[in-house]
Amino acid sequence: MDFSWILDILQRYVFNIANLQGMLRLATPVVLAGLCALITSRAGILNIAGEGMILFGAWFGVAGSYFFRSAWMGLLAAMLSGLVVGGLFALFSLKFRAHIIIMGIAINIFANSATIFLTREVFGVAGAFSDPNIAGLPPIEIPILKDIPVLGPLLSGYTFIVYLAWILVALTYVFLYRTPWGLHLRAVGENPQAAETLGINVQRVRFGAVMASGVFASLAGVYLSLGHLQMFTEQMAAGRGFIGMAVNTFGGGEPVGVFLSSLLFGIVETIGWRLQGERIMPVYFISMLPYLATLAALTIFTLRKQQAKKAALERAAREA
Amino acid sequence: MREKLRTITQLLRNAFGRSIGILLSILAAVMVGSIIMLIEGQNPLEIYWLLIKGALGSQRGLLISLQRATPLIFTAIASTLAFRTGVFNVGVEGQFFIGAICGAFVGYAVKLPMLIHLPLTLAAGFFGGALWAFFPTIMRQKLGVSEIITTIMTNYIATFLISYLTNYPLRHTPTTPETPPVQPTAQLAQFVELSEGTFGKGTQAHVGIFIALLVVIVMYIIFKRTRIGYEWRMVGLSFPFSEFGGINLDRTFIGGMLVSGGIAGLGGAVEILGVWREYKDLFAAGFGFRGNLAALLGGQNVIGSTIAALFYGGMEAGALGLEWSAGVPRQLIDIVVGLIIFFMAAEGMWAFVRRIKWVRGSRAVHRTTEDLEV
Repeated sequence: MDFSWILDILQRYVFNIANLQGMLRLATPVVLAGLCALITSRAGILNIAGEGMILFGAWFGVAGSYFFRSAWMGLLAAMLSGLVVGGLFALFSLKFRAHIIIMGIAINIFANSATIFLTREVFGVAGAFSDPNIAGLPPIEIPILKDIPVLGPLLSGYTFIVYLAWILVALTYVFLYRTPWGLHLRAVGENPQAAETLGINVQRVRFGAVMASGVFASLAGVYLSLGHLQMFTEQMAAGRGFIGMAVNTFGGGEPVGVFLSSLLFGIVETIGWRLQGERIMPVYFISMLPYLATLAALTIFTLRKQQAKKAALERAAREA
Repeated sequence: MREKLRTITQLLRNAFGRSIGILLSILAAVMVGSIIMLIEGQNPLEIYWLLIKGALGSQRGLLISLQRATPLIFTAIASTLAFRTGVFNVGVEGQFFIGAICGAFVGYAVKLPMLIHLPLTLAAGFFGGALWAFFPTIMRQKLGVSEIITTIMTNYIATFLISYLTNYPLRHTPTTPETPPVQPTAQLAQFVELSEGTFGKGTQAHVGIFIALLVVIVMYIIFKRTRIGYEWRMVGLSFPFSEFGGINLDRTFIGGMLVSGGIAGLGGAVEILGVWREYKDLFAAGFGFRGNLAALLGGQNVIGSTIAALFYGGMEAGALGLEWSAGVPRQLIDIVVGLIIFFMAAEGMWAFVRRIKWVRGSRAVHRTTEDLEV
């Protein structure tokens, strides 16, 4: 039997530099959305507002960059919007005791209409806004590394946020497992009552977690609007906030797990783009791929978890 | 007698306390909305006046309000049913679209007398919506996967699937992605057509509103008077408790969710048969999400959601006029409604209301489903 065609296909759609670069790029907003879900879920909060926070981040990124002619100002504006939206979300759901899911649903729908409204009122256009005055984030060439064959093109030359996402994965890991605040956060997530008795201010920890999630989400948004093409499009978050939640689930709530499962999404999307270029099937089915992949991955993940649980129960029964 | 009087006053007090909360929320949202308008350089009083006048000021405005409210009643009732059984069905959007395309397909592809064709088309919408709700429901009930992620994913899949269908297999004209027109035997008559142009000129209000109100009445009776309605409410309040009480969890829960999807789908079919009469790709996004908002606004009960949907429809009609006359984007309404919900959901913010003596006892300003496992 000749299996070389499999290698051919793999090389064509997965293992070549261009595809792997695409994977790392397309995974970036998902990594950040995943971190947004992670930091809140580890604090015991179900934050479904990530989608809306991404949209606000994308919009304010474009607005900041357009009005100050600087991508860094865009980044700053977006992060501020993340802090504000996260802060409001925390204020309403934690302090004013609004139901957190209702609040999340409302914020997502609100963000959608607010960004459409703002685009029309501030920029005077509907649908999408692009302008040569919007400064994009420049690619960063890493000295020395960029001259190494294979590794150079693979790891060098992305925009700042791609590297920031990698650094944030590492920082989140360090924060969770190597700092007292991380310990507090995990304690609050696992058993808030116990954490309270230990003198941890549960409310404050959760407030912080939600604000941080707002910043992560807004970075994902800036990447969408300033990372490649400098434009804001209505509904450009396209479900990434929810895919981030899914990624956090498969990643087991671990930063590294989130990163690896995001890469999986990156590769699915890259393959989609490749297929689109080759006109193998209608583009609509290709656009479905990330969402179908999310559903499939969630199903497989929970089925396996259920089986593992069943197996553990049987083992326990046998031993007893 | 005295006992009865006391319960009545108690009821009135509760209702009063609750409406105070809602009124304060609306007031706060209107204030924030005014600030936005002031920043935009508009006169808020004028804008609000135009809004109300556009929605209620004329027969035409009223009918447009009714037309905009019709699909929202379906999606709001669908969301309410799901919320009451303890599910956050944010997939109403996709279920609405799938119902619409199913209705459009059966509406144009089948040739039958009206008496059979119209019910068949509506049923197609209902089953299309229910089918679209099936997968997330099963995943939630059998595997415990949060329905929020799965229903959002199915929304996206629905929009791409429908774009494919209207662009390729069901496409009618080479110029635009839309299906062939629905047969006259499957159309829901518009009031203009019924009265031969004497009533409701320039509007597309149609008899579908009566189907919507029928659904409202049926759902109200189901929740108030029937066993399945009781079981839905119990499941929504507490899974373990209802299982202990002998409720068949799978059947009740899955049934509730499928009916919710079905109602959304029925709404989609009604919108197609009454207003559009053919499926245009992405003809009107957002009915599902606005239905979610209306259900939240209406305190997740059947009557409240219906009133909220009518209110929302009216505001949309007013906003459409506003977009024409004053150039204010109609998303302003969604923003204001979103703000109302933020303020309504924020029970703790209105805590001072409860401190006033005569509203004590009406604990919750806004009913929430706090103890849900999500």
